[in-house]
Amino acid sequence: MSFLILRKSLRSSKVTTQNPRISFLFSYGSPSFLYKTTEAPSGSRRLSHLIPENPIPPSGSPIYRHSFSGIYSNSLPSIKNLSQFRQSPVILTLFRYFGTEAAIQPSTADGLTVEGILASNWTILDESESDWKSHAAAIAQSIHLIKKRLRWKKLVVRLDLLSMELNKPDLWDDPVHAGKISREHGSLMGKMKQVRAFERELLEHIDMIKLAGEENDADMESESLKALVRMRRNSKEKELQAMLAGEQDSCSCYIEVQAGAGGTESMDWAAMVMQMYKMWAQQRGYKVTVVDEMPGEMAGIKRATIKVDGEYAFGYAKAEVGVHRLVRISPFDSNKRRHTSFAAVAVIPIMGDGSTRVQINESDLRIERFRAGGAGGQHVNTTESAVRIVHIPTGITATCQNERSQHQNKASAMAVLQSRVDQLEMARQAQMNAQHTQSLTDITWGSQIRSYVLHPYRMVKDLRTSYEVSDPDSVLEGDLDGFIMSYLSASIDKDEDGR
Amino acid sequence: MRLSFTSACCPSNFSIFTKPSLCTNLHRTVCSSSLSSLPTSLKPQVPLFLRPPVHSATVPDLRNWHDWAKNLASSVGTRFQDSDNGPDSSLLSRELKWLMEDAIEDHSVFSQLGIGNNQTNVRLKAGIEELYNLWKQRIEERRPFQYVVGCEHWRDLVLSVQEGVLIPRPETEHIVDLVADVVSDDEGLREGLWADLGTGSGALAIAIGRILGSCGTVIATDLSPIALSAAAFNVRRYGLQDAIELRQGSWFEPLKDVEGKLAGIVSNPPYIPSDNIPGLQAEVGRHEPRLALDGGLSGMDYLFHICNGAASMLKPGGFFIFETNGEQQCKCLVKYLGNDMRGSFRSLDIVSDFAGIQRFVTGFRQ
Repeated sequence: MSFLILRKSLRSSKVTTQNPRISFLFSYGSPSFLYKTTEAPSGSRRLSHLIPENPIPPSGSPIYRHSFSGIYSNSLPSIKNLSQFRQSPVILTLFRYFGTEAAIQPSTADGLTVEGILASNWTILDESESDWKSHAAAIAQSIHLIKKRLRWKKLVVRLDLLSMELNKPDLWDDPVHAGKISREHGSLMGKMKQVRAFERELLEHIDMIKLAGEENDADMESESLKALVRMRRNSKEKELQAMLAGEQDSCSCYIEVQAGAGGTESMDWAAMVMQMYKMWAQQRGYKVTVVDEMPGEMAGIKRATIKVDGEYAFGYAKAEVGVHRLVRISPFDSNKRRHTSFAAVAVIPIMGDGSTRVQINESDLRIERFRAGGAGGQHVNTTESAVRIVHIPTGITATCQNERSQHQNKASAMAVLQSRVDQLEMARQAQMNAQHTQSLTDITWGSQIRSYVLHPYRMVKDLRTSYEVSDPDSVLEGDLDGFIMSYLSASIDKDEDGR
Repeated sequence: MRLSFTSACCPSNFSIFTKPSLCTNLHRTVCSSSLSSLPTSLKPQVPLFLRPPVHSATVPDLRNWHDWAKNLASSVGTRFQDSDNGPDSSLLSRELKWLMEDAIEDHSVFSQLGIGNNQTNVRLKAGIEELYNLWKQRIEERRPFQYVVGCEHWRDLVLSVQEGVLIPRPETEHIVDLVADVVSDDEGLREGLWADLGTGSGALAIAIGRILGSCGTVIATDLSPIALSAAAFNVRRYGLQDAIELRQGSWFEPLKDVEGKLAGIVSNPPYIPSDNIPGLQAEVGRHEPRLALDGGLSGMDYLFHICNGAASMLKPGGFFIFETNGEQQCKCLVKYLGNDMRGSFRSLDIVSDFAGIQRFVTGFRQ
């Protein structure tokens, strides 16, 4: 940490040379480079033997990808319960009934709908202004955004499709398939109901306010107004939740940083980036563990992996995937020239138990002692007990050197390996679905996503969203949420527009 | 003659260990048992991380110490590595981090070390002067890190070690995996009586004691009273007093009552050829007990001795695994077991460690 202080005092600068080797480096450097690895036909073919084929035909719908867990997973009915439903056609009908009900547009007594509110273009004033139309318009806008983020139209279509599936009499002939359908249906239904309930609540309060106005009931009017303010605050939270509705968003994750070409300067930059994520994660209350760290010869790191434990760690951190560029006067250059350095960031979700994790066969692994040399055994006293595990069919490797025993290093490396293999498999499945190609480019790490300029001016700018901040120090100390949120909303909103 | 571990850990009762069997049929010189310059005692030392946090220091003081220690580690560069394959700066830096983990009660302090002038006191398990001394010993005297912090993380165990006790090696962890494989599908071995010869810190005995079934027992022997006191401490810390029995003596000598009854024998005996001892890495040669390293001229004195004994000590179908110096010793031993001791053993095998060095010889009693 004393590092950082030192660095800050050194941040200032002059001219630049962009290194053409960088793109090369990032295209072979990491096993997490999904596209490259999945393209290897032998790898993916062999991997596919390890996994049961997904019984649901690829639907082409993005909703499918976002359907199984996420924030509403609490409302998910368990398979066990659903197998009881199977016995009872009455309840199944009820299910469908709910489905239809949720799809009806709610409105006020005089026929005002949420879309109607939006269309009226009521001025949105500050929260402190007690104008119900302003509150209502703000809430309606949030609802609009939430729907957009949930890909509402697709969701409705998908839900209809699932309801039809659920009504087929032979559904439970294939219990695995039926289980998946019911879970997805339950999850989507949960999301839809939440939004509908929120809409109804808004419209009810409007009804109450109008009624209070007619009856001159000031108490009732102020009560409803307060309720609207509460809803308005609440809606921001819901906007955020809707952004993290992806299947793995709620998972913990690994964050990996790798230095680009350019020696000590870029290794120092990689260490700064890693430090930025450690601080960001700690500020968010996540638990941070260093899994693997390969220090540079002079300073910094060649690469490092940290584990970030906590709810939605992956959902947020995934926004950081890509190449991060630094421009500054290098403290390692005696001529005080300006340098440009790159560091690549990868983020891998750690899927919970019960998700579709790839079964790894012991016989497919090769385990090697890391940095071993000499006679070993009693000849050597060392605290270095790192192992490298190679998954032979995919060529994926993982190393852990931060634990204090070989056994623990092996266990940690194995956990990293498992997540990488899982991620590869998810990418493979997504790739089979042509429509996912667009969004997949977001999680490869070939592209530069952000620039950190310390000289000649000071600015951090996200190249994807154009979101920028003029205080690089705060960003490097982990103040990343602005970048993350703007990226997440932009990417989701862009996604929606493209469909 | 099961030892009471409360007394085993208390020096006043130590006479219980001194069986009149210090002379052996092998010419082991007990007096030269330790090359360490530091005094050794029979009282087991409590590892740093288990000591109460009765000391304290301010954040700036701790930072000063840390910066000093970090600089000292950096100043080493690759000097040790070049001279005797010792640790380089990056390894020493990691050890420094672990020393802090062991010495500091509240780990959230780490994040404050870089910034601010927080004058609050940090609770420590060793005084700041001791921390200066410990790190000086680590760098200047090449005292092994494990002796500095008084423990070695080995498999999922944290074992107390001190001068006079061999620090268990990562390679040796693999013996436990191989034993686990063997006992997983053989109830007779799982519920049987096992022996760990030359147990040292008790690492193998404890790890195997934890994978054996409810009736499985391990007898761990060692010639060194210091090693036995450390082993007793470790056995008690893992609550295995009922599963592990410690006996003092040379190899099979204290096991006469269980001849032909053992389900398994494991051992990591001294196997370094005497000629190699002077050239050892400083941490090993200067500090670890010679008794646990020196295997005689060829390095195989004790391996041969144990193999000979194993034939009579193992019950039919019993399993053995011994650690060796490498390919040469493995091949030599397999040849000896297959030819000179023909008919005694079956399924002889050589197993490599994760560095790819042929490290272990395994087999079963006919």
